[in-house]
Amino acid sequence: MIVVFVIVGLFVWAPHFFPAIFNSIARPFWRMEFSLQSGSLHSPEQLLNENENLKRQLLDAQVRLQTIQMTEIENAEFKAMMGRASTTPRILSAVLKRPPFSKYDELIIDAGQDKGFSTTSTIYASGNILIGKVSDVLGETSKVTLFSSPGQKYDVLIGSQHAPATAIGRGGGQYEAQLSRDTKVVEGDIVISLSLNNKAFGIVTGVLSDPAQPFETVLFAPPVNVYQLRWVLVDVKGK
Amino acid sequence: MNKKTIFRIVIDLILFLAVLNGWWFIVIPFGFFGVYTYLYFIEILIAGIMYDSLFGFIPGMGVQAYIGTIVAVIIIVIMNLVKRVVRK
Repeated sequence: MIVVFVIVGLFVWAPHFFPAIFNSIARPFWRMEFSLQSGSLHSPEQLLNENENLKRQLLDAQVRLQTIQMTEIENAEFKAMMGRASTTPRILSAVLKRPPFSKYDELIIDAGQDKGFSTTSTIYASGNILIGKVSDVLGETSKVTLFSSPGQKYDVLIGSQHAPATAIGRGGGQYEAQLSRDTKVVEGDIVISLSLNNKAFGIVTGVLSDPAQPFETVLFAPPVNVYQLRWVLVDVKGK
Repeated sequence: MNKKTIFRIVIDLILFLAVLNGWWFIVIPFGFFGVYTYLYFIEILIAGIMYDSLFGFIPGMGVQAYIGTIVAVIIIVIMNLVKRVVRK
């Protein structure tokens, strides 16, 4: 009975007591798993081949990057002219655990208070795709709640006509929204979020229409697969 | 060390690795088995708290944040009732 009271007391008055202990235990195992998945045990020959291949891809990418950088500079100049310049640094962090095995549609990332994260920090996948926010910070790990967590709601604009709608998270990086059937939304349309600083939010993956209903259901998801995320960028201050 | 103790350590290891990976679907059956087989199988309670510590305990999540611990307690209660009936 005393043990139960102690446990409940720790849950209530020191909510970070158990997470701090168990995360310290789990982190080395998760790091090891991550390293193994990253190919730490490959043969030298395989690693050299992979290295060569990646170097070639890097060269290709650099050419494309230069074009993108030109556009970004131009974009930054325009934003600066409009008084909306952003110089917030982002921190790269490894994803230690991701859905579907983490039950609550969350990620566990390999940085926490040591990098200055807080519960206002936001998470981006590669390509500047906003996917979630930090919900709990420990010493060297953080829990990230994906925006697609079931039941979470966001105001979004869908498609080229910027049709306003409320997106509801369905879990696993999937969202749905109800729109009037008159709105012309097609697969591949971009969805941006009003409440999350107008960042790209997702791409329409399907439109479910029933002739008997005045509304159609628009399904969309971020262009990245949250089940395959290995790295994320963390905007420490959040926006 | 007798066979039963070694077997218990093996189950503990399986529980530990399953919780680390969030594989609750492995923890639950082994939990039932452990509580049924061994006296004072508190490992299931530790596994529940560990699961919540790693994946739950997010402020604003409500009771769902403690689901691992709650399920562990339910398993202990159910299996103790079952043991009482079966082993009369």
